[in-house]
Formats: sequence, C-alpha cells, structure tokens
Amino acid sequence: MGYLDKNRTDALNREKRERGIGNLDSPKNPFDYYEREYGTVPQDESRAPFRWVSEVSYKNVHRIVARGYDTTELMEEGYGVIEVLFVDYQARIPTVEEEKMLNYVMIMTLEDGLSSPAAISRIVARSKTFLTQACGAAIMAFGHAYGAYSAFGNRMDGYLKKMEEEDLSLEEAARQLVADNLHDEALGVSNLMLKDPAAQRMVARAEKLGVAGKYIEFQKEVVKAAQKASEEPVDLDMLGATAAVMLDLGFTPEATWSILAVTRSFGTGAHYIEEVERDGFLRLGEQLSPKEDYDGPEDRPVPPLKDREQFARSAVCKSPAEWKERFERMKEVRGSGFSIVEEIEDPSKKSGTKKVGRL
Amino acid sequence: MSREPTLKRKTALSYKTEEKTVMRGYSLSDLAEEGYSFYDAMFVLFQDRIPTEKEEKMLKYEMGVFLEHSMSPSAVGAIGVSAGRPNLPVCVAAAVSTFGGVHGPGAAHGYMLNKYLEKGFKEGKTVDEMAKKLVDDYMDAGRPVMGMGQPQHIDSDPRAEPIHLKQEELELEGVYLEFQRALEKYFHARRKEEGRSYVGVNVVGSGNTALMEIGFSPNAGWCIGSVVRGFSCAAHALFNMKKGRAWGASRNEPMVQMIDLSMIKYVGPEDRIVPKQEERQEYAKKQKEEGEYKKWVI
Repeated sequence: MGYLDKNRTDALNREKRERGIGNLDSPKNPFDYYEREYGTVPQDESRAPFRWVSEVSYKNVHRIVARGYDTTELMEEGYGVIEVLFVDYQARIPTVEEEKMLNYVMIMTLEDGLSSPAAISRIVARSKTFLTQACGAAIMAFGHAYGAYSAFGNRMDGYLKKMEEEDLSLEEAARQLVADNLHDEALGVSNLMLKDPAAQRMVARAEKLGVAGKYIEFQKEVVKAAQKASEEPVDLDMLGATAAVMLDLGFTPEATWSILAVTRSFGTGAHYIEEVERDGFLRLGEQLSPKEDYDGPEDRPVPPLKDREQFARSAVCKSPAEWKERFERMKEVRGSGFSIVEEIEDPSKKSGTKKVGRL
Repeated sequence: MSREPTLKRKTALSYKTEEKTVMRGYSLSDLAEEGYSFYDAMFVLFQDRIPTEKEEKMLKYEMGVFLEHSMSPSAVGAIGVSAGRPNLPVCVAAAVSTFGGVHGPGAAHGYMLNKYLEKGFKEGKTVDEMAKKLVDDYMDAGRPVMGMGQPQHIDSDPRAEPIHLKQEELELEGVYLEFQRALEKYFHARRKEEGRSYVGVNVVGSGNTALMEIGFSPNAGWCIGSVVRGFSCAAHALFNMKKGRAWGASRNEPMVQMIDLSMIKYVGPEDRIVPKQEERQEYAKKQKEEGEYKKWVI
C-alpha cells in the first residue's frame, strides 16, 4: 500500500487541524501532529528481503535437515530423540555414554507427581481445552525457583569464571557461591532429598559412564560448603544433580532449561488426560471460594456514585515522603504488588541471575 | 516449608514421597538405573506397561523424526514470542500450544480412525470398506481428510512413508496401518478420478497411525508428537535470543527484519476522522444504517 498520497494526506491533516483533537496539538509535543503521514511504510528495497534465518535447521519440499543431518536419515540409521537433542543444541552426535546419560536424566524428569506443571496442566484441562494448551501451560511453570536450570547453570558459570580470573581454588569458589546464595532456590543443595537417593544415584551414574566433568566436581564442592554453612541438614537435590549432569553433557543453562521443561511436559499431558477422565469440566462461576479463606476487608456498602468524592482517596503523592508512606501502606494490601521486587531484564544471553522475589 | 501439593488429587499416574518418585508403580530411579529408555518410560506413563523392543524402536523413530521441522507454525510461534524477550519457557509453551486443528492434528486423526473402526465393527464391515466410507464421507462433505497433505512438502512428506515402512519392517502392522493404507488408497483414487493433483500422506497420517498401533490413545499420541516438537522450537527460540535481535524490527540489520514496518500490508478501511463525542451518536447511527462496516466484521 505505502504512504497515502500528498493531496489526501494534506486534506486529512487540514481537517483535523481545524477540528482539533484533544491534547494532540499541545505545544508541549515535540512534533506537529498535523504534519504526520498516513499509510504503511513502503517496502524497503535497499536491504535484503526478510528471510527466516536459522543455524539450527532447514527444510525443502523433500527433506528436513538439522545441523546438516537429514532427520529421516538420522532415524533410518538408528538415532532417536536423545541424539537429535545433541544435534539441535550442540550440532554434534553424542557418544553412546552421553546418550545413555541424557536418557537417564529424561526418565528422571518425566514425572514429578502433582508438582506445579502437573497442577497447571490439570487446571487448564478442566476448562475443556486442547491437550496442547495444557502441555504449553505446564512448560510455563518452569522459572527461577521450580526447575531453575538456567539460574543454576549461569550461576555456576559465573563462579567458575571468577575462580579463573581470581585464581581461586574450586573449594574457595564454592564457598563464595554458597556464602552469596545459601538460601536461593537454585542452589541445587537443600533438604529435599535427604531420604531419596535419586540425585546421588544420578551423579554416580554420570561418573560410571565417564561423562562427569567440571560441573559435577564443582557442585560436589558446593554441597560440602553448603553443609558447613547450613544450620540444618542439606544435601545434593534433584535440581543440582540434573543441572550439573546436563552442563557436563555440554548443554547450556538455557538449553537445559528448555529440554527438561519439555520433557516434563510429556508427563503433564498424562495429567491432562487423567484430569478429564476423572473429573470432567468446570463452568464459569461454578467454583466457589469459601469466606473462611478470605482475609481481606470486611463486607461494606458500596458508596453512592454521587458521593464518590467523599470516599475516594487519591493515589497521587506530592512528595517523596508521601510516596514512601503510601508505598509502605500498600505493602499490606495483598495482591497489590507493592511487596514484590523484580528486575526484569533481557534474558537473551543468560537468564535467572536477576533478583526476583519479595521485599 | 510445606511440601503439600498445590492441588490435591487422586491419581493413578505417580506419587512422590521423601524417599522416591514412583510412576505407575515403578520407581523412576530404578527404571533409569535398569537401563530402560525414555521411550520405554512413555509407555509406562501413558499405557501402564513396559513395551516390546520393537514397539520401543517404533516410538524412538517416530519421536525422533518429528522433533525437528524447521519453520512450521510451532517454530515461528516460538521465534515470534522470543522477539519480546520473555523467559525461554514462554516461547516453548507458545510453540507447543500452536498444535491445533490443522498443525499436527494428531488427536483429530486418531479420533477419526477410531470412529470409523468402531462404526465398522458395529456394522460388521471390513477395515477396507470403512476406509472407503471415511474417504467418501469426508470428501463428499468437503472436509479435509486428516493425515493427508502438507502445505510445504507438496508432493510427499519426507517423513511419512518412511514411518510406514519402519512400522512394516518392525512387523508392527495392525488394524491401524491396514486402515491408514486403505484410506490412502481410496483417497488417491478419488482425487485421481476427480482430476485433482496428488496429495501425499503427511507425518500425522503415518506417525499417528504408528502411535495408535503401538497402543497410544489419540490424546496421548498428540501429546507425544506436540511436545517432542517443543525441543526443537526451544532451540529455534534460543538461537534467535542469543544470536538475533530483539523485537525483529531493527533498521540497522542488513536484512529487512521479521516485523519491520515495511512488512505490514494494510487492506482495511481508509484513514478517517475520529468523530467528536458530540457528533458520536448521529455518526454511529449512520454507520449502522449504511452497513459498510459489515464487510470488515471478523
């Protein structure tokens, strides 16, 4: 389509200037609103046209190729999902031992009882959705506490880099990491697996297969440091074991995050199915929220609209002191968001090390 | 710290205690230690059984070949969402959620086969007869026959026939493959008879047939297919997040970007004056009377 022709543009702008449109002709605006163009930006022919650029894969009418390997040929040669994950994320075929290890990790990740992803999948299922919506929603449960693989991995990388730069021993680096992050959900050491040997078994398997490397070694030091620093018994947990193994298999923290979130999503598909089979669907308004679970303001009359100014309380603060007073007061209003602090940054290169939590 | 689940439910899938996580009665850790594959675990999860070696091989093939599909709605969805730089799982969730009535409609294909198998069983018809009936019913009604045709692989999906062949090689031919093969035969014959171009079986038609044959329900099969694609979509999103530009609109890139302003083609109503509030009622009534707006209603 391109820009509207000059005559029509001028005519429209003239009419609008005469009519005036709210504040759009305010002298405070750094532009003359009534000089603006209409229509879409013409096609840019000075640059190459848009293409879907990918290092990962391409396809044509007759083949699908990932990192140079035809995927049908990969299957015909006896490879499977595990190997294609290495191909897609690392552009390489894994060794037999690496394949075995990732297989092990994925089995361990497939099911986790009624934890957040399964709960979300079941909640979505009850609205009578497609199964894929529920599986997608379940993946969104992975954050920087539950399934905090990126946060864990990026932190490990950060301290390993620091170790090199500051010529620290592995033990010293682990001690610093623990001192800075002892109570963080992504430490990989906690009291969650004191009775369950699964995390230790996974690390032992990695060592037996010869795929254990610097991350497992470092995580073991982190466990020792955390055990010294903690007042309660703690040990390696599933996050710590799984993430360290994945990093030693050569996956980046973000690749680990996505691979394991997707792996868990298969399990949540089964939860979707079971939820529908057992409990059926919910209608809008069907579920009640008992008053005994409510701790907000007491029931009160709605003020007549004509009296609103009597009851209304402006949020506009005229001074920093006023602002601070209101801010603190609002922290008591649950659900207002004033007691949460976040630093939302671009997670392109790495994610999970920003502060996200309660004030 | 409370370790109570957010949602309390009776479930036959799994339980998790301080000592272990158990799926369908099997300790997950023991399954992994014993050397079972991830594919085996999918049978345990969805079917409550350990599969035969051949069934395990079939699932391995099907999942592997479906994992990566370069630029499909799912990958494009993941890349599109990644442009705003949310957390990576959001991109993957969007990708998996693109699977619906057209993109990878595995469950729809499965339910279609089951419906006609059931009908044939009740009416005492053969599989071949029911396949013909399905093709005729769908094509007479102008409905797309699930599992046939792919908009990019226009003359044959490179994954489709090899999946059928693998199923035959593994001697996993059952009622579903018989039905699907017959369906394809009648579908091709009818299109030929009508002078229409050849449309091959797609990966849903062959892959889902294999999944159903090795015992997965339509939704379980759909879950397996849709979610396994999530792995590659995550890689596409990650590539764009790590090596591409946020927003996909930079004018400093040598190539015009995905949502560069010049990519927009507008075909809606012409630019027009916004009526003042005092003009509104009369303006709105006139608009309704004239009815021009109706052609834009979506």
